[in-house]
Amino acid sequence: MNTIPWVILPFPCGSSFADRRGLRKDLLIALRVSGSPVIVDLSSCGTLGHEDIDLLLECVAQAAGRETKVLFVAGSRVNRVLLEVTRISSLVPVFNSVREALAYPQIAAENDDEVLRVSQFQKPGSA
Amino acid sequence: MELAAVVVVPATKDLRLSHEAQTHAAAASENARPFYFPRMPILGNDVLRSWMERIRKLGLRSLWLSSSPRDESVDGSALAEFARQGVERLLVIQLKAYAEMDLADLLRFHCESRNPVTEAEDDRGQLGVCLRDHLALHPKGDKHAFASAPPDSGNIPYQFRGYAKRILSARERQELVGDGLTGACAMRPLGTEIRDQVWVGEGANLADSVRVIGPTYIGARTIVQAGATIGPFASVEHDCVVGCGTTVERSTVLPYSYLAPGLLIRHQLVDGGYLEDLSWGAVADLHPAGLGSRIQRRESRRQAFYESDVLLRAGKAFTRDLAPSSTASQPWLRVQL
Repeated sequence: MNTIPWVILPFPCGSSFADRRGLRKDLLIALRVSGSPVIVDLSSCGTLGHEDIDLLLECVAQAAGRETKVLFVAGSRVNRVLLEVTRISSLVPVFNSVREALAYPQIAAENDDEVLRVSQFQKPGSA
Repeated sequence: MELAAVVVVPATKDLRLSHEAQTHAAAASENARPFYFPRMPILGNDVLRSWMERIRKLGLRSLWLSSSPRDESVDGSALAEFARQGVERLLVIQLKAYAEMDLADLLRFHCESRNPVTEAEDDRGQLGVCLRDHLALHPKGDKHAFASAPPDSGNIPYQFRGYAKRILSARERQELVGDGLTGACAMRPLGTEIRDQVWVGEGANLADSVRVIGPTYIGARTIVQAGATIGPFASVEHDCVVGCGTTVERSTVLPYSYLAPGLLIRHQLVDGGYLEDLSWGAVADLHPAGLGSRIQRRESRRQAFYESDVLLRAGKAFTRDLAPSSTASQPWLRVQL
């Protein structure tokens, strides 16, 4: 059972400065507050421009040194290729879909821990 | 029996149009297609010249060069014109493969099998090389399949068992690069071997901190900036710029391409601002992200991969307007070998 409160942020591709600022803010909040894995979803992006690459690198920088995991969902082969060419995929795990990202072993392990923690917590109550 | 030879190059215009159309569609459809011109150099070599050399070894002193639309058909009147001029056998080569073929052996097979049309093929299909006899030069319709014999024609194909790669496939093109670098085929890199399996073309400029891992080829006048890594199994063709810290590995960078700093080009083919990934088959536009672009050619740096240039470079004469039914859409050029 997946009981982790996932944070999935749609990437504001080709959007305004305000939208980008919004994502940056949401990401920071997600990293600070929840401590849960954050999935940045690029599925709605047709192609990535230099501002998008900058923002993705900023996401990576924000997550650096924190325990919270950040994952990217490329959403298309072209995006995936661009993430590889820019070496972003060597810094952050990249997946083709959200479903694939949720099956990522580290997150799956956290799921198991959470399930275990819940079950241990429930044991006294159930006894 | 008079033999003539024709080499048909896919028209640049058609490729360019096709490229643009497909590029616009790329974001939506993630297409996989060749977007480069078949005359683009491979380790500095022009595949057309390799075919010209093989034709010269047949004893021919000239050949006809033409371009064709992508459907590989031409006006039947062009074939009839060859017949009218006394040509009794025509060797037609579509410039879509590099094959180390003994054309004399193909000719011998054609004569012995008494095919009107003999198509050369390997275990993966036709190679775009065929011989046509006099009768097969007469068109039956307005359009005539110029290079390929119909599959059900009953002709016995010539089974080629030597080295061949389809140069319109990015993957096979990269395999050819690897084979050329390691000596697995007859094609050798055009440059100076500065150390074991590392070739550098004339005027290439490599910063001191550049790491070159063989087997690798760096073409003429290419600039590789500080901290870049080239190789193994990389081919950066002439007049390119590779930015600081960029890695090019198991990939080809076609002429006049600029790559921004810090990139990782691995198992890919770069043509100007476009990149084809050989694993995923996806074509990415590097322009919007500022990761790559086409370098503008200057007249002084213009290189020899246009029809006339390659011939002048080879020191050969050529004449125009001698072709059968030369039209604006299908120009013909007679090349002295």
